[in-house]
Amino acid sequence: MSKPADTTVNAKVLFRCEKLLFLFVFTLYSKMPILIKTSSPTTLEEYAIVELQGDLEIRSGENIHNLFIGDLYYNKYGQPILIIGHHILQGREQKLEKPFAVLEKLKSKDGKSSLNDTNMDSNATLNRTIDCTILDSTVALENKSRQNTEYVVRALCTKKLIFKSRPKPIIANVATSV
Amino acid sequence: MSELEMEVDLEENEEKPYVRTLEDVQSIIKHAKLDAKNLTQVTQALYYPSSTMDDDNLKLLELDTHMHQQIRLGQKLYFKGGHNEKIVLCTEEKTYDVKGAEISNSLLLVPDLKFAAATSTSPLKSPRAGTSSLETSLNDDDDDVSVDRALEQRKVLKIFHEYFECREIRPRYRKIYELLQLTRYSGPENEEYIDRKLLFTYDQLLDTVQCSRKQFDEGLIQFRAMEFEGRMRVLECEYEMRIVNFMLGLLSENSWALDEVEYEETLSALEGIAPTEIVKGLFRIYTTPTDGKEGKYTYKESLVSRIIAQNILQPELKFRKDEFMSTWQEALPEGMRCDEKFLRGLGIIDREGITPCIRSLVEELLPTNIHERMRILFKNKARWTKEEMEPYIECFSTPTLSVSTLLAKHARSLTENGVRYFVSKH
Repeated sequence: MSKPADTTVNAKVLFRCEKLLFLFVFTLYSKMPILIKTSSPTTLEEYAIVELQGDLEIRSGENIHNLFIGDLYYNKYGQPILIIGHHILQGREQKLEKPFAVLEKLKSKDGKSSLNDTNMDSNATLNRTIDCTILDSTVALENKSRQNTEYVVRALCTKKLIFKSRPKPIIANVATSV
Repeated sequence: MSELEMEVDLEENEEKPYVRTLEDVQSIIKHAKLDAKNLTQVTQALYYPSSTMDDDNLKLLELDTHMHQQIRLGQKLYFKGGHNEKIVLCTEEKTYDVKGAEISNSLLLVPDLKFAAATSTSPLKSPRAGTSSLETSLNDDDDDVSVDRALEQRKVLKIFHEYFECREIRPRYRKIYELLQLTRYSGPENEEYIDRKLLFTYDQLLDTVQCSRKQFDEGLIQFRAMEFEGRMRVLECEYEMRIVNFMLGLLSENSWALDEVEYEETLSALEGIAPTEIVKGLFRIYTTPTDGKEGKYTYKESLVSRIIAQNILQPELKFRKDEFMSTWQEALPEGMRCDEKFLRGLGIIDREGITPCIRSLVEELLPTNIHERMRILFKNKARWTKEEMEPYIECFSTPTLSVSTLLAKHARSLTENGVRYFVSKH
């Protein structure tokens, strides 16, 4: 092994690493940290989750907004009953072992960037920033952090209605009543 | 699915979607052969989210007990992570790995939905009383059903097929070390060589480092960082050693007992030798207030021993253990005792040969990739006990992934004379 050659390579690599380090400090700095604010605990709402097996589909085309899904009943024993179309589902009220927080993204001035963005759009941004010099990036770093994205905990979910069983058809003389 | 009523209405009028009426509800109860008397008074009609609902704005985040509690207390949480890093979630105290979990079930998020108890005027019956209450008596009188049934409309806020789940991890504060290493402080005369633009404030560092505030503070202590002129700095090892030595020298100079170190005296004695802010920082890191002796301090034996050992234990050098220990002991102030355990993450003892040797192996300088790190560890030393290995791989462990599990996965174990050793897998 030729020693001198090795050391020059190492030096180069080291320089590269340092440069990269600055770059990503910069890129991360412009977006992070994303704050999740909690509204005052007393006003924190409690939302429910209705869990269905599989997916809901509607026959009539694309626009499902505001459409009626079904009726939810409870019997006197507290068991939830869901009637969707002419299917009946029997479920159970269940405490969530791990509760959910409902996070809502607050749009910022430049309006972009979400949890998914920060996860996935790394390539595009990296390409853009790769041209930046160390100087640029560190100058940017000097500036106060810009927080583009904030989440607010809108509600907590601690209970759900779960409909695990197969839907049963309702056999009825539909024609006369509807 | 529900072509009973909806399709008709839809085709008639796109603008005004169908709204459930009490009559519809009552007729479906009859069709479904439900006994209305057996149902609680409130029926809730569910609707799809409206179009104004931006799909991407809401996320479900699964919480553990700690996070749940923090939110209940009104505390903030943070997502942190750069482009080269996986995103983490931090509370004020803990750090979590965040992963998206896809599910085949649909989670309908419904605000204001009433659970069973809220829909009944009388207390719910115990579930044991009847079996399937669904298809009970058909011989009921339908006439009084309509009297007290109420219909409430509920809009689903969003239908989820994904949520974010979190797993607690160890803080990733190695970046503190890496960033601070770029601007090591070695005295005012060398400051002109420091790129001012690479100096970071406490808040800037906290924002970039993937750990909670509490863990960040612990990390700063671990890396012996201090604030100097508003920026966080670590000291060049030799410089630090020199100043600490000056400070320790005051022990014998003033005939202080180990637990009677004076703060003000120390500061004034070091005036002109190092900037006061640095001395203050070092004093804070290296001492604790003495219990029961107001205004007096004690140097931390472990830290003092470490900085001295680090100074003796230059990289690439190998020491005979007994020689190293006596050199080390002599360099310590009187009354302090060196101990192998202070070498944790700093050096390794090789007992394979006739005379045990000590070599430098600094945890912070090892690769962050576990495979790569394992390779280097076994290159340095063929056989390790779990205790020896622990300081070098505990940074990869999580509350659910112990050091033992890591070793089982990345090393091979063998037992010799009752001692369990770990060797390279390959």
